[in-house]
Amino acid sequence: MVEQTLHSLSQFLPETTLTITFCISILAGLILRNKPKVIPVISFAGILLATVFAVRQMGSSQAVFSGMIVVDPFAVFFKLLVGSTAVIIFLFSIYSQEVQSTLKRLVEYSSLLVAMTLGMFLMAGAVNLLMMVLAIELTSLSSYILAGYTKEAPDSSEASLKYIIYGALSTGLMLYGISILFGLTGATDVYAINRSLAATSVNSVALLIAVLLIIAGFGYKISAVPFHFWTPDVYEGAPITITAFLSVASKAAGFAMLIRFFKISFIDFNLLAAHAGGVWGLLQGFEWNKILAILSVLTMTLGNLVAVWQNNLKRLLAYSSIAHAGYMLMGVVVLNDKGLAAVLVYFMVYLFMNLGAFYVVMLVANKVGSEDIDSYKGLGYRSPFISVAMVVFFISLAGLPPTAGFIGKLFLFAALLDARWVWLAVVGALNSVVSLYYYVRVVRNMFLRDPEGSTEPIRFSFPQMAILLLLLVPTLLFGLFYSPIVELANASVLMFGVR
Amino acid sequence: MLTEFGNVLVFLIIGAIFVAGGMIASWILRPHRPYPEKLASYECGEEPVGDAWVKFNIRFYVVALIFLIFDVEVVFLFPWALVYRQLGLFAFLEMAVFLVILLIGFAYVWVKGDLDWDKPKPEIPKIERRPSAMRASVKPQVESVTV
Amino acid sequence: MNFLGIGTLSWITFLPILGMIAVLLLPKENRNAIRWTALAITFLQLVAAAFIFFNFNRGLAGINTVEGMQFVEKVSWINIKGVPWFGKIYVEYFLGVDGLSVPMVLLTALISFVAVIASWNIEKAFKGYMVMLLLLDTGMMGVFVSLDFFLFYVFWEVMLLPMYFLIGIWGGPRREYAAIKFFLYTLLGSVLMLLAIIALYFSVTIPDPTTGEKIYTFNMLAMMNPANFEPGSLLAGTSTYWRYLAYIALFIGFAIKVPVFPFHTWLPDAHVEAPTAISVILAGVLLKMGTYGLLRIGYPMFPDAANHYSWALAVLAFINIVYGALCAMAQKDFKKLIAYSSVSHMGVVLLGMSAMNTQGMLGAVFQMFNHGTITAMLFLIVGVIYDRAHTRDLDAFGGLAITMPKYTGIMTVAFFAALGLPGLSGFISEAFSFLGAFQTHRYITIASTLGIVLTAAYMLWTLQRVFLGQPNEKWAGLPDINGRELAALVPLAIITLWLGVYPSTMLDIMTTSVNHLVEFVKQGGAAVAMLPK
Repeated sequence: MVEQTLHSLSQFLPETTLTITFCISILAGLILRNKPKVIPVISFAGILLATVFAVRQMGSSQAVFSGMIVVDPFAVFFKLLVGSTAVIIFLFSIYSQEVQSTLKRLVEYSSLLVAMTLGMFLMAGAVNLLMMVLAIELTSLSSYILAGYTKEAPDSSEASLKYIIYGALSTGLMLYGISILFGLTGATDVYAINRSLAATSVNSVALLIAVLLIIAGFGYKISAVPFHFWTPDVYEGAPITITAFLSVASKAAGFAMLIRFFKISFIDFNLLAAHAGGVWGLLQGFEWNKILAILSVLTMTLGNLVAVWQNNLKRLLAYSSIAHAGYMLMGVVVLNDKGLAAVLVYFMVYLFMNLGAFYVVMLVANKVGSEDIDSYKGLGYRSPFISVAMVVFFISLAGLPPTAGFIGKLFLFAALLDARWVWLAVVGALNSVVSLYYYVRVVRNMFLRDPEGSTEPIRFSFPQMAILLLLLVPTLLFGLFYSPIVELANASVLMFGVR
Repeated sequence: MLTEFGNVLVFLIIGAIFVAGGMIASWILRPHRPYPEKLASYECGEEPVGDAWVKFNIRFYVVALIFLIFDVEVVFLFPWALVYRQLGLFAFLEMAVFLVILLIGFAYVWVKGDLDWDKPKPEIPKIERRPSAMRASVKPQVESVTV
Repeated sequence: MNFLGIGTLSWITFLPILGMIAVLLLPKENRNAIRWTALAITFLQLVAAAFIFFNFNRGLAGINTVEGMQFVEKVSWINIKGVPWFGKIYVEYFLGVDGLSVPMVLLTALISFVAVIASWNIEKAFKGYMVMLLLLDTGMMGVFVSLDFFLFYVFWEVMLLPMYFLIGIWGGPRREYAAIKFFLYTLLGSVLMLLAIIALYFSVTIPDPTTGEKIYTFNMLAMMNPANFEPGSLLAGTSTYWRYLAYIALFIGFAIKVPVFPFHTWLPDAHVEAPTAISVILAGVLLKMGTYGLLRIGYPMFPDAANHYSWALAVLAFINIVYGALCAMAQKDFKKLIAYSSVSHMGVVLLGMSAMNTQGMLGAVFQMFNHGTITAMLFLIVGVIYDRAHTRDLDAFGGLAITMPKYTGIMTVAFFAALGLPGLSGFISEAFSFLGAFQTHRYITIASTLGIVLTAAYMLWTLQRVFLGQPNEKWAGLPDINGRELAALVPLAIITLWLGVYPSTMLDIMTTSVNHLVEFVKQGGAAVAMLPK
């Protein structure tokens, strides 16, 4: 027992680091009350260290803490994704007016970011439904507070409140689904659920209801339609840094859990052995992927169509991130590892382009004082470099070559067509045409319209540009030389206990 | 045959019948002599003053929440105490870690002043506007830079 | 044929990128340096294109064989060693030209050069304009020289953004609408094309060059060989539902670029709103990409579908020819008239292609080149008059022949070339197209000849309204065409005359390839013996 726990702890290094960082951040905040700027440095270092530890976990595959959590390439991939996002968010925070103007609460800001990262690390590795709920809650509770971080602004408080209410509801639904599933299978461990489903047949209606309820929980985390209602308000109200973090890391962690739950719970291991790498056989003939296909179509179509009408850029990006969740769901629908690899590729690409877009929004909001699309008029002439960067991020989000976004879409569509989901691929392709329209609306304001009011150039400091380049260069480079991200994705689809 | 959950259902139904049966029986058998005092909140004689739906001071909630959190966490000490002998030093260290984390939380609450009942100086939050909120009222603050 | 260790085709494709970087480094006040850099770069490109033209071996067919391709460059670009279930991803940087692409390469270089001259005096954000123009140039050239489908698609899409900006920033009053319409239409086409590309990718395997295992490929030439299609894959077999569907998806992608009715509605807007030089590029090069794509990709990869739908293509061609001409006739705006005349003339290309025989196809490819030069002249001519009068209303002019004699002279050449007067290049190619199509689709071709009459009608009518008749007092002081404008127009006029008199200069380049393509498509993609010279 003790040895087991000690061994588990040794495989738990990234999470332990984060926990300790969290505690130190709070303690340091209490002690160094007059130097709040030290705390983010501590938190930043902790997250960086945790990410490095996560890198060192690459290639290992085992279950720890009596099968509550696994350390496998799939989990490590998402830990890296979340960790790097958190690192980048800390860099953003240096220049965020919202964060820097509330120095008194900087301790809470940085320590809660660590807590949220910890929650997402756990989400990436959780294989027990209870562990999953706990991890979701840790992430959610931190993000509720962070969403309302600028509490002086009414929309920020509103965002936080809405987030809590929707979060509570969906967690409740999910727990209900889990209890039904537990009733059906007698287990909360996904491997045990799989064994039980393989051994005995269960009432298919009850199973369907349970899965639908659990999807409500996951769908809320990845903001899939119809569980997306919180997204636009929270994204608009929360500080931009938090919005950016939620839009990438929270979604990634949600996807990690969704994919793991569905793949391991319902995969037919006997069939899988017969043709490795092929289409997964499904236990009980339960075609959950069809549910996800419908969800995916709804999500991307609604996200894109509604985004067309938005005038606030943060809100527009919120709907665009809903649409992107829809694209990524397409990769889960195909029931094979190629689809999963496509989702992972998409996430890597999405990290750079989406964070980049939010970063530009933040920089511009700092100077211009608004996130309205109208305030971007003539920006291309006032600040050419960041406008060009924004164009690159946007065409990448729309999925045009030679940007990385195209590679993401390419692999998704490739996985779909390979599995003969032609209609879904066509829907996805048409959706990306719609998405171009609203991205280009912003581009139009930046370059095709003349500046309103001030026409003086807006300058940004060198470090600000350096952070922008950190996101811009990969967005372009991975569009032309995508071997590294694809190879990493291929190596990362392996889950503990599957093949 | 009934499943496990079927048994529970039967149990629930019988329970409901028992409760309902008791109430119905007493309603039929008891004498009806209503007078106003029977409707009072506290029949022992305490006169209620005002409405029960009043605003409580927010400090009650803070204290209640803090109490709830620490109370629940301390419950973990009981099972730990049971297995302490089997696990020995390891259990001691584990609980020490747990308590340290708890203590950090406690220190945080303390330093932030959430345990003080009477706040000497009520702090009125300054309105610091964020970019998106200041559209209407404040003129955009543009940092102009000389070319 | 390397220069500094880099092949000719890479040079010709990426020279504009070098120029773009150079222009970016120049200060934006120094307009002269910017314009001369751009001109020098496009001139070098033209020299490289001429080099290719003169060193091109006219006896090699190309189309579906690497051996037949010339100036080939083949480098491994993306090589992802597969985990077993994923398969290996191998994308090559694969360039090469044959008789189909050489005329297009020459045309692109020529039109880009002319476009830089035509944009000599752009007022607004000159530096940005030239950067976009040069980027566009690379995209266009890349499309015509790539033989790898992935590379092709990247170049194809790279063009979109510069074009959007060029129309949207430097265009006319309705530029925003025109630009986004162009962008959305083209993207719609290209995503459908992308799906077709992926479907092809998963259907075609070739042996790995090093290990010999079967790998999927984006190699266009491999996709043309029916033997490479994996049995049981989506697009295997002939004349299947999926193959037709993929062909239609590809076709829509290309048809939007051509543009084929009913996907043509972006064209009048884009052409009219774009600045002169960009209209020249749009009409001169971009429209050809649609037909080039069909010939390079649609036909040889889906010969079954191409044969099956040749009648449909003929019908669409007929609609394009007649409808385009009728629309042109109804226009009061000079530029819109030229824009619709492009729809009509591209119809002739489609008609020639639908013929599925040598005459028709040869006519189509030749018409692609000729229309590129002629329509470029027409748009330049409109640009000249618009620069001076600031109006394009046909009815506002009259008797310009007196005030601007030189201008009228060069314009007459262009108009007559456009309406297909013998002795000018347009005649040869139109005649070939109709001749070929007549053998295959008799009645449609007869009906389409109506278009020639209509073309003559609107061209001559325009000539009459603008240049003949009573001189309008208002325009009495208009200066005649100047040296810079002549520099752009005269080379094009000379080419038009030369090819009208001695078309073999260009036909020699194409014949072998076109013959091979026709034979290849006719036999449904079965291996065809290389035709002797």
